[in-house]
Amino acid sequence: MNRGVTRRPLLGLLIPAAVAVLFIALPLIGLLTHVDWSNLPSQVASADVLTALRLSLECSAIAVVIALIIGVPLAYLLARTSLPGRRVIRGLVTLPLVLPPVVGGIALQTALGRTTPIGTVLDHFGIVLPFSTAGAAIAEAFVGFPFLVITVEAGLRQRDDHLEEVAATLGARPWRRFWQVTMPLAAPSIAAGAALCWARALGEFGATITFAGSFPGTTETLPIAAYSSFEGSGQIGMAITLSLLLLVISVLVLVALRDRWLGALR
Amino acid sequence: MTMRARVRTQLGSLRLDCDLSVDSDVTVAVLGPNGAGKTTLLRIIAGLVPVDEGHVEIDGAVFEDTATGTRQTPEARRVGFVFQDHGLFPHLSVLDNVAFGLRARGMKRKEANARAAEWLERVDLASYARSRPGALSGGQTQRAALARVLVTDPRALLLDEPLAAVDASGRLELRRALRERLSSFTGVRLLVTHDPLEAASLADRVIVLEDGRVTQEGPFGDVSARPRSAWIARMAGLNLLRGAVSDGAIRLDDGSSLTVATDVHGAALATIQPRAVALYRQPPAGSPRNVLRCTVAGIDPEGDRWRIRLEGPVPLIAEVTPAAAAELRLAEGGVVYAVVKATEIDVYAI
Repeated sequence: MNRGVTRRPLLGLLIPAAVAVLFIALPLIGLLTHVDWSNLPSQVASADVLTALRLSLECSAIAVVIALIIGVPLAYLLARTSLPGRRVIRGLVTLPLVLPPVVGGIALQTALGRTTPIGTVLDHFGIVLPFSTAGAAIAEAFVGFPFLVITVEAGLRQRDDHLEEVAATLGARPWRRFWQVTMPLAAPSIAAGAALCWARALGEFGATITFAGSFPGTTETLPIAAYSSFEGSGQIGMAITLSLLLLVISVLVLVALRDRWLGALR
Repeated sequence: MTMRARVRTQLGSLRLDCDLSVDSDVTVAVLGPNGAGKTTLLRIIAGLVPVDEGHVEIDGAVFEDTATGTRQTPEARRVGFVFQDHGLFPHLSVLDNVAFGLRARGMKRKEANARAAEWLERVDLASYARSRPGALSGGQTQRAALARVLVTDPRALLLDEPLAAVDASGRLELRRALRERLSSFTGVRLLVTHDPLEAASLADRVIVLEDGRVTQEGPFGDVSARPRSAWIARMAGLNLLRGAVSDGAIRLDDGSSLTVATDVHGAALATIQPRAVALYRQPPAGSPRNVLRCTVAGIDPEGDRWRIRLEGPVPLIAEVTPAAAAELRLAEGGVVYAVVKATEIDVYAI
C-alpha cells in the first residue's frame, strides 16, 4: 500500500463520503429520538407485539429450514459438479435477489394459489398456502434462500475436493465423505448463509404481504405489523417500537457475522 | 505380495506410459524430475485418476482393467495414500483423524478410538490425541498421517514426496524414523520423490520416471553409478556421454571421439567423474590421453570444490579447487584444455 500517498484524503471525496455516512445515520438517529422510552417496555410486552414477534420468528425459522434443506444441496451441486446448465440455474437462483418482492409474491400466488394445479392438489390434503402462516414462511424462504445458496457455494469453492479424496483413500464412501468432511468444512459458510437468509426473511415484507396478506396472529409479521400501525391506525409510536425491535435484531445479526463480513474487508 | 501396474494415459500435455512391478519385500521409490508424472502415477494406483488404458492389481485383486471395464472406487481398493500435504482433516482431532479410516470401514467408535490411540502411542503422538492437526509440527503431522493410513492395514502404502512438507532441519531424523516405519510395514511400499537423497535413503530400489516413461530401474547405487539419462547423471553429479565404441575409442554422436579402456562394443554410454577432468591452460604433451579444447561456460563455486561448466566437442563439468581455478585464471568465455584419462571413463552398453 502506498500509505504515504493516500494517507491525506482528497477534500472533494471527503464531502460526499460524509454525506453518505449521514444518509445512513440520520434516519436511524431520527428513529431513536422518537422512541417513547418510558412506554417502550409495556409496548414491547403487549400482546400484539409479542404475537407479531413470535410469528416473525416462527416464519423466518421455517424459511431458514426450508432454505437449508433445498439450498445446501443446490449449492453443493453448483460448486462441486459439472451439472449441465449450471450458469442458467445459478442465474435463476439469484433472481429473487434483484426481483421486486411484490413480483415474487404475485408469482407465488400464480404458482401456488388455490385455483392453480399445485394449489388444487394441496387443497385435497387440506393444505392452503395463500394467506396462511405456511404461505408467509414460503414467501420468506423464496426471498431469503438465494443468500444461503450464494454464500454456501462460495464457501465450498474456497477449497477444492482434496480432503474428500483423502477420505476416499481411507475407505469413506461418498455419503460419509459428504457428512464427515464436506459439510463440517463448509459449516462456517452454511452458518453465515443461514444468518443472512434469516435476516432477509425476518425483514421480508413485499412478497409476504402479497402472497399471505396481513392477518394478525396468522401472517402479520413484525415488518407488516409496523407498516399497518404506521399506515392504518396512525399509531406511529407503535410503528417506531416495532421498527426499533427489528433494528436491534438486525444489529445483532451484524455483530454475529462481523468476523466473516468485515474480517474479509479489513 | 506384488503390485503390477500398466498405465497408458494422456493427461494434459503429459503422456504417461509405463509398466511397474513392485514387490512387497523391498521399498521402491519412483524418482524423477518435477512434472514427470510421479504423483499422477500414485493417484492412478489409488483410483483418484482414471486411465485411458491400463491394468492395476495386487496379487490378482484387480483394481482397474480397462480391457474388461473393471474399475474399483478408491474406497474399495484398501490402498493407503500419504499425500504430500499429509491431508489431515482440520476439523477433527488427531485421534479422530487416525480413527477415520476404521470408522469409515464400519468399526464401532470405541474400538476404532482404542486402535487409533494405540497407533498414536506408537508414533509418539499420544499426548496430542485431543489436539487439532493445526497444533502439530511438520514432522508430527507426517507421523499422524502415516499412522492414520497404517492403522487401516492397507494392502499397499503410497507416499507422495513424504518429506517435502517438512523443513530441512528435521529431515535427517525424520528420514531415519520413516525408513524404520516403512521397513516394518509388510505390504507393498511405493514412494515418489524428486530428491535422489531421499530415494537413496528410504528405498531399496528406484524406478526412474522421466516425462511419463520409465528410463531406468534397479538398486540406487547401480542407477546412480551407471545412469541412462542426462537427468540421473546430473542428479548423480556425473558427466554422461552417449556414442558407439570400436577400436578402443568411443565415437560420440557429434562426431568427436575419446580414447577409452573397455571391452564393450557398439552403442554405449560413458560417465566421467567431474574430478577426473583435469584442466590446463596449454595443451599438455605426452601420454595417450584425451585432450579437449573447451571454453568456460560457467563457474559454480561449491565449498572447497568449484564446478566448471565447459563447452567443447562434448559438454563437460570439471571440479577443481578454488586455488587451481585461480592459478588457471579461469573466466567465463576463456579457453582451457580438458584432459581425461582413458581409464577414468566408465563405459557400459546401452
